[in-house]
Amino acid sequence: MTQQMEWGLLVVIYLYTAGISAGLFAISGLATYLGGGRYRRLARLGALLAPWPIMLGLAMLVFDLGRPLYFWLLFTTLQYTSPMSIGSWLLTLFVVIALAYLVVWLPQPLRNLVRLPAAWSDLTALRRWQPLDERLVRRGRGILAAVGFPIALGVGMYTGVLLGAIPARPFWNTPMVAQLFLFSALSTGVAFLLLVAALIGRWVDREALRHERHLLISVDAVLIVLEIFLIIPFFLHQSLNTWSAAASLQLVLGGPYTAPFWGGVIVVGLLAPLAIEGYELFPLILKEGALKYSRLLGIISSLLVLVGGFFLRYVFVYAGQASHLLPVIAR
Amino acid sequence: MPATNRPTPRWVFVMEPKRCIDCEACMIACTVENGVPLGHHRNWIGHQEKGVFPHVSVLFTPENCHHCTNPPCERVCPTGATYRREDGLVLIDYDRCIGCRYCMQACPYDARYFDEESGVVDKCTFCVHRLDAGLPPACVETCVGGSRHFGDLNDPESEVSKLLARHRAYTIYPEAGSGPAIYYITE
Repeated sequence: MTQQMEWGLLVVIYLYTAGISAGLFAISGLATYLGGGRYRRLARLGALLAPWPIMLGLAMLVFDLGRPLYFWLLFTTLQYTSPMSIGSWLLTLFVVIALAYLVVWLPQPLRNLVRLPAAWSDLTALRRWQPLDERLVRRGRGILAAVGFPIALGVGMYTGVLLGAIPARPFWNTPMVAQLFLFSALSTGVAFLLLVAALIGRWVDREALRHERHLLISVDAVLIVLEIFLIIPFFLHQSLNTWSAAASLQLVLGGPYTAPFWGGVIVVGLLAPLAIEGYELFPLILKEGALKYSRLLGIISSLLVLVGGFFLRYVFVYAGQASHLLPVIAR
Repeated sequence: MPATNRPTPRWVFVMEPKRCIDCEACMIACTVENGVPLGHHRNWIGHQEKGVFPHVSVLFTPENCHHCTNPPCERVCPTGATYRREDGLVLIDYDRCIGCRYCMQACPYDARYFDEESGVVDKCTFCVHRLDAGLPPACVETCVGGSRHFGDLNDPESEVSKLLARHRAYTIYPEAGSGPAIYYITE
């Protein structure tokens, strides 16, 4: 019998980075399809960034295992009732697709370093391998974005299902955790892209930058609103649920996780960036002018979203483990 | 009755809280029998307070892995290391366990512990090695007050069947849907 936190910061980082990657891929996929060539730079940036956070997270996860060298046992079976087993396969598939997606979005000179055999007979003759054909690359971007998009959403959702599928932990055991983690994944992915795009923005013309920021800020604002409207029913449902579920809310309503939840998740992660994004979008909402563009505000709001997303994973991983079914008092 | 005619056994514990004196001999017996690492236990004794001052009392409830019929730990195990034997024992294949500790999150009873030295998760086995040799679990054999009873619920002549036929009993956290196999006698 053990009553300590079995899952610590490594798992928090893993769930967080997997979400960012899923969000990056999803927004890059969207940018590939939306607006023709207008969001080309976003699509490329997203594709180039997407595989890395999750690979860092997976390394953390393997390192967190009791027997890291035996992680491959995950891939000797598919346990369809285990979210972690399904997740392992899903995340592997996602990383493979994200890496392929990265290759087709590499700038031409770099891409030419990647060579494939033109025919089966060339398989062993490395010297005859060819760089990717331009037509194949363009088609590959579309196909990989379309195939990878639902898989990216699945990865974002999985990080929440992992926690939500456990009746023994009342704080986790609601489908809203999966939805919340999915929207937060997309939001942090968008914020990460916004941050990088803002940091390297000086190499693009202002007009293009404004289009990009308009897309990212609108998407992020919508996602934040959706998150808020998941947290509200989360509290309503939990407090009206079983005694154990209602009592588990105390962890964030006057317990050890109150400050990280209300400060980190709600204020820093949702309300503050929403206020900034609302301020930027306000002239457009009133149809009275253009997006209020400021590089500094973009950097601040995306940093806030990223910090808030981390707190969300932190609070849920820790508070969930501290929550417990409550005994029925004997008469 | 010849063994071949009997249905598969359904091993259960029947605890009598009123007979438990919280001496923790069962915990020591288990630790010795199973070589449980220091700082961990496979069984423990819960304290159930009832009444309002000055009319208060404490009941001691001996507990260990419930060997559930629908084990949440088995359900979430990503490698299939946790499995349910034909006679209902929930066991761990230590060669397949990678130490992800998902099962520890899933267990409503916190019955599992992480063995830092070997890197795998472990728990009560109902003393499967003794059971297969025809012996009762070590904690039952050593129980001073006679609070722990162990036996086959599918055998109507067993001590546990008779106890459950005579007394009212409850299980812990039935709402988790795990179908626990430890019964607590209330009267």
